Amino acid sequence: MYTLTGVTKLYCKGRQTVPAVTGVDLVIGDGEWLAIQGRTGGGKTTLLNLLGGLDRPTSGSIELDGTSLGTLPETRLTALRAQSIGVIFQTFNLIPTLSAAENVEAALIPMRASQVARRARTTAALDEVGLTDRANHLPSELSGGQQQRAAIARALVKNPKVVLADEPTGSLDEDTREDIIGLLERLWRERGLTLVLVTHDTAIARRAQRVGVMSKGRLAITKDIERASG
Amino acid sequence: MFFVTYLRRELRRRLRQAVFIALGLALGVGLVVTVAAASAGVRKAQSGVLSTLYGVGTDVTVTGPAQAPPAPGTQSSKNGQTLQIGPRGPEICTKGKCVSAAGHTVDQLFPPLIEPIRASKVAAVARLHDVAAAAGAIALVDNSLTIPKNSGAPQGNSDSFTVDAVDTAHTALGPMAAATITSGHSFIAADADADVAVVDSGYAISNGLKTGSAIIIRQVRFTVIGIATQPQGTSPPDVYIPLARGQAIASATKAGGSLAGDVTLIYVAAASAADVPAVQHEISRLLPGDTVSAASSLASEVTGSLAGAAKLANDLGKWVSVLALMAAFAIASLLTMAAVARRSAEFGTLKSLGWRTQRIIAQVLGESVAVGIAGAAAGVGLGFAGAAIIAKVAPTLSAAVASQDSGLPQTTRNAAGVSYHTVLVPLSPSITIGVIELAVILALAGGLLAGALGAWRIALLQPADALAAVA
Repeated sequence: MYTLTGVTKLYCKGRQTVPAVTGVDLVIGDGEWLAIQGRTGGGKTTLLNLLGGLDRPTSGSIELDGTSLGTLPETRLTALRAQSIGVIFQTFNLIPTLSAAENVEAALIPMRASQVARRARTTAALDEVGLTDRANHLPSELSGGQQQRAAIARALVKNPKVVLADEPTGSLDEDTREDIIGLLERLWRERGLTLVLVTHDTAIARRAQRVGVMSKGRLAITKDIERASG
Repeated sequence: MFFVTYLRRELRRRLRQAVFIALGLALGVGLVVTVAAASAGVRKAQSGVLSTLYGVGTDVTVTGPAQAPPAPGTQSSKNGQTLQIGPRGPEICTKGKCVSAAGHTVDQLFPPLIEPIRASKVAAVARLHDVAAAAGAIALVDNSLTIPKNSGAPQGNSDSFTVDAVDTAHTALGPMAAATITSGHSFIAADADADVAVVDSGYAISNGLKTGSAIIIRQVRFTVIGIATQPQGTSPPDVYIPLARGQAIASATKAGGSLAGDVTLIYVAAASAADVPAVQHEISRLLPGDTVSAASSLASEVTGSLAGAAKLANDLGKWVSVLALMAAFAIASLLTMAAVARRSAEFGTLKSLGWRTQRIIAQVLGESVAVGIAGAAAGVGLGFAGAAIIAKVAPTLSAAVASQDSGLPQTTRNAAGVSYHTVLVPLSPSITIGVIELAVILALAGGLLAGALGAWRIALLQPADALAAVA
């Protein structure tokens, strides 16, 4: 799925240059669940943005199924995000003026599906996350957990190859956190998704197949999958 | 459908801001519409004033040079009648022979203080390149005075009215061109030598005239064949008679002389509006001693409150409305850009979902255009209201134009001795389809400009930076 080679991302802040990600080498296989932990400011979100094509590396290369994200033209990168990458945010990032169903439907707009097809897939996605009865409610009328379910449905409605989740339970209480992680885990297993999840929570990270720790821009894998040798 | 739903919900969310922007655009556009309507009304009034001097369809007029008024006591009695006061009392002198004027009526018909032009020049003008038609006319004044029989008796009766002698074969050119016949009929070519007259409706009412009535002009009995009404605000003559009859019975001056074969005005229609300057130039070369005026040159000579209103509408009004529009555009643009900035995270999220930048820009432009449409509708409404207020409260304007001294009311003479004829003109602002279209285009342009500036901001937005705005 992903091959990262010497990926570095530098930010210029006035006269200072801040290295957010430094020399990351990483391979993420199809269907893997990778959890990334680390302290605030360690570069986790930056790495996730690079994986999602939301930002470009300063140096190094990121390949998704052989396609270099760093050099792809913006229009093709946008199309790739539309079809293959689902993103879940800590603060849900639902459009406040659209209902839960319309927020999910927004993910299908770039795919130019008909209105009938969009609505059918939206209904199925909301069913899958258990939000059918709240489909016509605005985000302000949903609880935190319900909003995150809507965001998960939005990420999955287009059947992406990879889902990138940036602290999906960061804004939720403990019980709801468990519900959401349980939902993500179930969907990961059922769909065979590649899931990259950033979290502060060690208990959540341990549920992943692989765990990496970002510290001062560098990634160290602390738990790996047992790979067959030979 | 998703586009419209998203647009509608977003405008509802920031309804106050949308209304504020729409109102700003409406005020700017409303001012433009009101000023345009007032300008159109002033132009209509001006052309109404000018058309009385030219007649509808006239592009150029030619008049002879002004005559110097004769010094007192130097009037000769070569031809025609003159009245003089001698040692034997009032006397009427005709061709040098004088008799007592007691009990007599002196009736003088003459063009006031203007040199005549040979009628053959009318044909010469008509033959010029780019001239569609030319017609001659004579503007006359009929003054009559009845002397009492006894020297101690009360003052005799006097009467004065204006007469235009017109070319009956060219009534579509000249003073009758804008007239509407409300009773009877107008002249036909065969009336050229007939003692027939068309009377202005106002004069007819004042003097109890109708079709078939008789009117005495220079002691000749004319039969009224029609009653004519000129457009409001004009100053038409009281009576129209055929040109040949006017030439036959009028004197060249108060003191006498003949007008046979002469005219005092030539009305000229150019082949097209673009030909007017060339026609004016050619006529000036053909008739170097005469005054050749086009509507545009006379327009600059119109004074009075109408001229002031024209200047106000065209200069101050135009600039005030331009400034108001610029202010409205600036406010709309700034508020839209601020709204886009506040929605950075939302747009970053859409980009992360795979929305193309153009799609997001189309959404923002759609919102701006919707506000622009609301502003246009409100602006047109405000413009109509402004025009209605002007129509209600604006005073009747006056237009003073340099004219021949006819000694009639509404004519005054300034310090330089130039006579001015004053016409009262109502101001009727008018809103045309073109002005409404302009208003809609301006409001939409304002909305698009605001949206375009917001769109530029979106285009520069990097998804990661936009999403960072949430954190």
